[in-house]
Amino acid sequence: MIVTWRIALRIALIVVVTIVLQISFFSYLTLFGTTPNVVPLMVVSLGLLGGVMVGAVCGFAAGLLLDSALLQTLGVSSLVLLGAGYLAGRFREGAEVSNSLIPPLLAGALTTAAAAGFAAIQLMLGVHTTVSLLVLREIFIQGLLAVLLTIPIYPLIRRALRPALIDDLAVLGARSPITRGLARAGRARGRRIRRAAGYS
Amino acid sequence: MYRKQVRRRRAILVLLVVAALVLLSTQFSEAEGGPLHSMQRAVASVFGPLEEGATRALKPARDLVNWVDETFSARGENDDLRSEVEQLRSQLAEAQSAEGENEQLRGLLGLDRQGTLAGYEPVTARVIARSPTVWYSTVTIDKGSSAGVKVDDPVVTGDGLAGRITDVTHGTAVVTLITDDRSSVSARVLPNGPQGVAEPEVGDPDQLLLDFIDPNQPIQRGQILVTAGWSNGTISSAFPPGIPIGKVSDASVGEQQPYQRVHVTPYTDMRELDYVQVATGGPTRPGVPG
Repeated sequence: MIVTWRIALRIALIVVVTIVLQISFFSYLTLFGTTPNVVPLMVVSLGLLGGVMVGAVCGFAAGLLLDSALLQTLGVSSLVLLGAGYLAGRFREGAEVSNSLIPPLLAGALTTAAAAGFAAIQLMLGVHTTVSLLVLREIFIQGLLAVLLTIPIYPLIRRALRPALIDDLAVLGARSPITRGLARAGRARGRRIRRAAGYS
Repeated sequence: MYRKQVRRRRAILVLLVVAALVLLSTQFSEAEGGPLHSMQRAVASVFGPLEEGATRALKPARDLVNWVDETFSARGENDDLRSEVEQLRSQLAEAQSAEGENEQLRGLLGLDRQGTLAGYEPVTARVIARSPTVWYSTVTIDKGSSAGVKVDDPVVTGDGLAGRITDVTHGTAVVTLITDDRSSVSARVLPNGPQGVAEPEVGDPDQLLLDFIDPNQPIQRGQILVTAGWSNGTISSAFPPGIPIGKVSDASVGEQQPYQRVHVTPYTDMRELDYVQVATGGPTRPGVPG
């Protein structure tokens, strides 16, 4: 991903809108007895599209905003979401996201891991509870809901960041100012640039 | 060049992890009015109007999704309600034969809200945000210190007790619900039952646990739990006495346990909170700030 100022602004907007939607809309919903959490899957989507740095920085920032907006313990969500964004970015840089099932499955797995990590930190911070089936059910269903919600949300985020995605540059051709020079060279040139940059 | 880039990336990642850990530990050791808490309140104040607008605009969509979910679960609930109706019929017959006792219960239950919250000034507030995890059963309301809301003010709904105020900004306040892990409410079982502390079971927003109850004191399913509002002159409960909390759903004594565990279903549906009432400016209670 080529992160220009304009793209950075778009990413910031995606993060803020997702957090406002989460605390004002998704947190009120009850699906299969659990509240869906779209913040981890937004971070995973950004990590998958932008790589390690974008995933980790967005995870940290999203966690900080979420904890601040809800007056929760600062740093807990940041730590957990940073990890989710980093792992999604690592996956992106180490493997090809060729199958359309990969983003939902990865988002489901990392949302489950994030929920488990959040629970572990809460227990370490002194929340007096047993690891009951109810807590495990909550974590598991949040992961399943993330799989379902990523199916519409990932393409939306991808579409919003399309001008910055090197994979899409050749396809877009001259429509984007960034791709103007690349349009003639096509896919092969895009691949060369990605190799030269050392990341995608 | 490539190595330099990798080193820079690693440095940023380490910095972020350290920053998160520093935030976490600093906030724990910091006093309520410290810089981190102030910064957090400033961010919350900025988000407040955004949350309020989004909550109002998205209410129809929220209701639609919840309606679909409720329709699916209505079938199972129907059977439960039928058995509950049967149980309530028998209870009604008992209640009718003891009208005097009923009157007394009404007073204690605080069905007459004027009596229970006498001396308080109720402030009606709209719920504008809520936490997405079961680890924080908190909601944010659209009234803050400008409306007279203070930390530790009790929060009620038309059904009963909801929680208490734990953080206040100029225009918003955070309500820690009675189903939050940090919450504990001194409560007593009506009509002449024992007193105990009602605490939540994390992961189950529909249940409270009244622990440390003498196993020799009989408690029946369906009995009502209200706030005890105890005071020993030095410290006291943040809640005034007589606010309905919920009804007993089960009471059991585990093996090798000296106490009775009483499960309570709260009257207030914590997942469906739209409006709440904050009881502000009440009589001074020893040990409760404000």
